[in-house]
Amino acid sequence: MNAFSKVHPGVASVYFLGILLFSMFVMNPVLELLTLLGGLLFCSSLPGDKKGLGGYFGMILIMALVNPLFSHNGVTPLFFMNGNAVTLEALAYGAAMGVMLGGVLLWCRSFSLLMTSEKLVYLVGRGCPKLAVVLSSALRYVPMLKRQARRVERAQRAAGLFGPDNRADRLRASLRVWAVLVSWSLENGVETARSMAARGYGLRGRTNYGNVSFTLRDGVLLGVVAALSGGVLAGLLAGELAFSWYPALVWREPGPLGAGSYVCFGALALLPVCLEWEERIRWNYSRSKI
Amino acid sequence: MELLKVENLSFTYPGAGKKALEGVSFTLERGSFNLLCGRSGCGKSTLLRLLKRELAPYGERSGEIRYKGAPLEALEPRVSAGEIGFVTQNPEEQIVTDKVWHELAFGLENLGLPQADIRRRVGEMASYFGIQDWYHRDTDGLSGGQKQLLNLAAVMVLQPRLLLLDEPTGQLDPIAAADFMATLQKLNRELGLTILLAEHRLEEVFPIAHRVIAMEEGAILSDAPPRETAAALRGQPLAQGLPSACRIWSGLGAAEPCPMTVGEGREFLEAGYGSRRGARVCPPAAAPGEPVLEAEHIWFRYAREAPDVLRDLSLSLRRGEIFSVLGGNGTGKTTTLGVLSGLDRPYRGQVLLEGKKLRDWRGTSLYRGKLALLPQNPKTLFLRPTLREDLEEQLRAMEIPREAWPRKVAELADRLGLEDFLARHPYDLSGGEQQKCALGRLLLTEPQVLLLDEPTKGLDADFKNRFAGLLGDLRDRGKAILLVTHDVEFAAQVSDRCGLFFDGQLISQGPPQEFFSANNFYTTAASRISRTLFPNAVLCREVVALCQGETL
Repeated sequence: MNAFSKVHPGVASVYFLGILLFSMFVMNPVLELLTLLGGLLFCSSLPGDKKGLGGYFGMILIMALVNPLFSHNGVTPLFFMNGNAVTLEALAYGAAMGVMLGGVLLWCRSFSLLMTSEKLVYLVGRGCPKLAVVLSSALRYVPMLKRQARRVERAQRAAGLFGPDNRADRLRASLRVWAVLVSWSLENGVETARSMAARGYGLRGRTNYGNVSFTLRDGVLLGVVAALSGGVLAGLLAGELAFSWYPALVWREPGPLGAGSYVCFGALALLPVCLEWEERIRWNYSRSKI
Repeated sequence: MELLKVENLSFTYPGAGKKALEGVSFTLERGSFNLLCGRSGCGKSTLLRLLKRELAPYGERSGEIRYKGAPLEALEPRVSAGEIGFVTQNPEEQIVTDKVWHELAFGLENLGLPQADIRRRVGEMASYFGIQDWYHRDTDGLSGGQKQLLNLAAVMVLQPRLLLLDEPTGQLDPIAAADFMATLQKLNRELGLTILLAEHRLEEVFPIAHRVIAMEEGAILSDAPPRETAAALRGQPLAQGLPSACRIWSGLGAAEPCPMTVGEGREFLEAGYGSRRGARVCPPAAAPGEPVLEAEHIWFRYAREAPDVLRDLSLSLRRGEIFSVLGGNGTGKTTTLGVLSGLDRPYRGQVLLEGKKLRDWRGTSLYRGKLALLPQNPKTLFLRPTLREDLEEQLRAMEIPREAWPRKVAELADRLGLEDFLARHPYDLSGGEQQKCALGRLLLTEPQVLLLDEPTKGLDADFKNRFAGLLGDLRDRGKAILLVTHDVEFAAQVSDRCGLFFDGQLISQGPPQEFFSANNFYTTAASRISRTLFPNAVLCREVVALCQGETL
């Protein structure tokens, strides 16, 4: 259980959206690196498979190496290949793209790990309770259909209806399984619809229940996220975060506002990790008191 | 005080010539536990659905249904949805959402309750039903028993006054069914919930009901407390489904009040037939045929890391015998059928069919003419809009010339009594009829070995008897039949040999008289009732015969 998974899904969504927008639309190396760092720390603090994380670095490397092969802009040639210049700028831009993509993917991965189906259903249901039911029953339906498909296939095979050797037979077999599944789903749907009607589905004024509630903590967190994003946005609008890749790498010396923006974004990207650490410290502290 | 009053209710489905219900009248008292019994297709489901306005079938209706004194049609939609609860047979199809907690909240969301109220009611219900441990799980991963309990809980959160149940344990194994019934009884006793339960499996529920309404052909046959009902049904076909004690009493034609439970049955026999103590059933010494299907030291697991499901399983099935494999849920009975039918491959050991390894049967030679598997859910076998087309599909697969089809179909229909179903959609048939049609389709492959997975699930007593007759007939034609089942009574009735499956292997086997009389718990009610007098009688029919001094 991660500390961030206890955050209200609405707040979490706003937060994820903010991070993704900043990192995708502001091509600034500092922001990209912070996104990557935050994403990496966040992702590795979540339960789940961590084997794939190394792959992101490979991807960044490939992007950095491939970009100069196609883009020959830039004023600082490193060497010439097939009569084309391989420039420092193109290399740097490729690396930055790689970092950006890696960061975004890491955040998306964290998002999908954290935003479980029930949180999504809850969020959708806030806007439209009926849609939430549709979504939820679809989520239930998929594994059921898969299982039924397997059952039908086995039943038909054991009834001698199609041989394993004959290709035409096998094609016909899958069509048959499909046809059975369609009628089974319709039949099943009727029964489910009855069960829904029996429990008052379709009455006016349906509400939406979730196992989540908006707490003071969520409110504070939302405020913090808004304030930090505001800070970044202020720097962005003032042009303090501008960075030019072509024709030459030009880094704008940040003023106090720019520096503030960088700090704000850093804090934003590291927020989940900070929450996690805060929780661990609290836990250790409470343990030490027992 | 009465909660529901039905007066002279008749109902006809559109286009049907015959009335589905005719002149049905009864009342349900507040806080009573009422049992509705009758054979499949007698109108139980129609009646129950008419009592739940949201589910009422279309058709022509006359007569009146009054809930708390007011006509059912005049109820507020919210009252109607909330106060009358309904649970049906199939655990799977009633579940709407993907999470257990959401399923519990679903009805309350529909009624538009605020979040805090839903939280309280859902929490309360989850605690009452012992659902907390799986509260956050996906509904898809639950067992059948858990699903049905969830369906009940999801109805109970609406705080109904009247609960209607249409064969709720039809698809459950005996342990889960007993749990479910115990929960129902608890709801009735502790909350004063009024219950109307339609059920085939009467052994446990019949004695605890306050009143039993017996139906036949859309009309009420008797409406009385259980003991009187047993007397009233004496000699009627419906009596086949009564608890074993009642059936023995009924078979003996005794004058004493009807015993209901195993204990009462034993008292009854001891008092009246003590002089027959020690009489034995002599099972017919069947000449064993040669083995057709043999499994030798099978080990099987579904995935490399998964635990072994079958552990050193060996069994052999002989020509001309019915072999029943009994055992609890999740012990690997169905897996055994998967391996024996060649659908799953064991990683150690082998299965031999007529002395040849299963994997050496090339192509479709195995499933055409040698071996057939009847799956647990017969619906998975049907492909076509009518049964006739379905059977023809099978004949096509068997590469039988088209001219011979009508004759083959007619022959089969005649043998199994499928004539009335040929033009109908298999899904529209009842569970028992589907089972029979599915068996019929498999018989077209002319198998030597038949493997059946839970063939009696959801069947009524009458249908079971007929199915048993059908299997006996096939056995006499020299087929080898292996069935896995929970149904102890059915296994005792049809089998030549029974085996108990436990921990991945068969731990004991023998002829039913021997097998069941050696078991203390896993045995038939008739055996439990009569074992102090007759050491090896396992069927009601045998007990009755021994009491009457016949030799078997």
